[in-house]
Amino acid sequence: MLDHITDDFDDNPAAMDYFYDLFRRAYCQGESLEREGVRVGTTCIHAPEELIYAMGATPVRLCNGSYHYDQIGADFMPAKSCSLVKATLGMLSSENVIPRVGKLDLIVNPTTCDQKKKASAMMVGMGHKVYNLELPPAKESEQARLYWQRSVREFVQQLRSLTGKKLTRKNLTAAMARTSRAQAAFRTLHNFRRKAPSLVLGKDVFLVTNAYFFDDIERWTEAVEKLNAELAQRDQDGFCAAQKKAPRILFTGSPPIFPNLKLPLLIEESGGVVVADETCSANRMLYDMTAVDEWLVNDMVDSLANKYLKPCTCPIFTNNEDRLRRLVELAKSFAVDGVVYQAFSGCQVYEMEQKSVAETLNKAGIAMLYIETDYSPDDMGQLTTRIEAFLESLKTRKRNRK
Amino acid sequence: MKYFAGLDIGSTAIKVALVDEEGKIVGVHVSSSGSLFHKNAREALHTLLAQQGVAKDDVRYLIATGYGRKLFKEADDSISEITANAIGAHEVGKAYGGVRTIINIGGQDSKAIQIDDTGNVSNFAMNDKCAAGTGRFLDVAARNLDIDLEELGDYHFNGKGAPLTINSTCTVFAESEIIGLLANGHGKEEIIAGIHYSIAKRTVRLAKRVGIEDRVYFDGGPALNKGLVAAIQDELGRELVVPEYPQTTTAFGAAILARNEFFAETS
Repeated sequence: MLDHITDDFDDNPAAMDYFYDLFRRAYCQGESLEREGVRVGTTCIHAPEELIYAMGATPVRLCNGSYHYDQIGADFMPAKSCSLVKATLGMLSSENVIPRVGKLDLIVNPTTCDQKKKASAMMVGMGHKVYNLELPPAKESEQARLYWQRSVREFVQQLRSLTGKKLTRKNLTAAMARTSRAQAAFRTLHNFRRKAPSLVLGKDVFLVTNAYFFDDIERWTEAVEKLNAELAQRDQDGFCAAQKKAPRILFTGSPPIFPNLKLPLLIEESGGVVVADETCSANRMLYDMTAVDEWLVNDMVDSLANKYLKPCTCPIFTNNEDRLRRLVELAKSFAVDGVVYQAFSGCQVYEMEQKSVAETLNKAGIAMLYIETDYSPDDMGQLTTRIEAFLESLKTRKRNRK
Repeated sequence: MKYFAGLDIGSTAIKVALVDEEGKIVGVHVSSSGSLFHKNAREALHTLLAQQGVAKDDVRYLIATGYGRKLFKEADDSISEITANAIGAHEVGKAYGGVRTIINIGGQDSKAIQIDDTGNVSNFAMNDKCAAGTGRFLDVAARNLDIDLEELGDYHFNGKGAPLTINSTCTVFAESEIIGLLANGHGKEEIIAGIHYSIAKRTVRLAKRVGIEDRVYFDGGPALNKGLVAAIQDELGRELVVPEYPQTTTAFGAAILARNEFFAETS
């Protein structure tokens, strides 16, 4: 898969070598990703990483994209459940884990969808220490806000008993500075993708954000800043990463996680270019920045909690009009020609939201292609036909508009 | 004289269409795909050219489509079968007053395509990786019932009782369901009508997903089956436009596109 990402495309940015090499070492050569000190695994972007860093621990996101682990995970979950949850369980149950995240002192599992809720007990059964971070099913109500704030405060206590450290204004501010710098680098990268013709391909950006799951945060940030500098240079030189007429695609739905980048790759091999995304393995994970301005550490924690609840566009929430607004806004501001919506078979919330998203985009005059798939590579033939037909129809649409 | 060809390499059959400079159809040819896609596609093209007395060099532009489109390197270009089907149906449909929805059932997939008044695809849906409701399903059923594929249509109309219900949506499970019905002494006619209605229901659901607009065009090999056509019309609650040669609409669309591309490139 990695060779496919690197060798089958021309003119990859030189700064991407850092990320290609990182994945090669972590996934192909089995290099250890173990870190000194306390290591906290997370199964979702709802676990506030600023708190984990502030308490002197290092987070690692466990969401897995491998078909191999998906098959192992089928021993734990019903066959029709989501590939991502199955693959994560499959990885956690294996002895020789790829990537080698090392010993996990705690797994924090936000109670999002039903499958992740039930996965919790299975992880305990495998011998992991799991903390269920309780998330409300809605996000607008005052009740939900208070419930979530209490959950996050409880989580701080949990971390305290794990590391023995106390959360202070000082260490929380320092932790937020670290994540903010990373997020600022991501935002710059994100904004470069507004350019037409494109400066960078979506398959590379997915790899960059995917590296954030397990890479050292400072090293990651520096590598992204280098990539940004190269893109700025490319912009000056008038470089194009894709053809001028390549249909510009917004990717949404179930998250592409290495090595399961089959759909974004297929889009770009078929002559499209992914210019923006609305997924929890990229944009949703890194876009919303924290700007907490409170005097007391407890108030800081509450504000931080708000940041993890309010702007989140995950389909698990009862009412999710934010996602519809966000998609239309992204489609317009990135001059998108069409939206590709990926739902993993068995991921009911994404499957269910498909209809309202399609209707909203349709009203806004934006074409959408809905694709239900999983981690297995056996539907490539069918997917190729669908993606190519979609891109062809977008091209004709564009031509007719002129 | 210049000619333009569309070559549709499907999972079950290879279809070739030849058009002239005006985009008028010159001839079509259908043959089995077999396992050697490339060799059989080349032979199909040669057969059609020989039949029509057209020299190979007079074919100025060829576009390949269908599952095997990437294998045919001699083609000038390739295009997905969805776009080709839309162009072909739009063209053929003009004689019927224009079509806006296409239902296509092929060897291993079924599709519903919505097109605008210029023949451009505005929406489409395809079955997921499963042979339910496709030509393969009919193939398996005919074999179970020990009759020829071509006879299915006649059996459909000769039943004495109401069509039976086939509940399984999976081809493999449906096979055992059919065997069960036979073992219970049910007639082949009622079983066949039941199979047709089961495919029709799935197909209409797919079409509803893309939005049904008048008129509805039905093509692909299974459109030759009159019983299936009747069942889909019943489920849809409206008439279908079934072209004279339902198997070659997509190849014809590719040929038209080949002609247009040729003139666009040379002008």
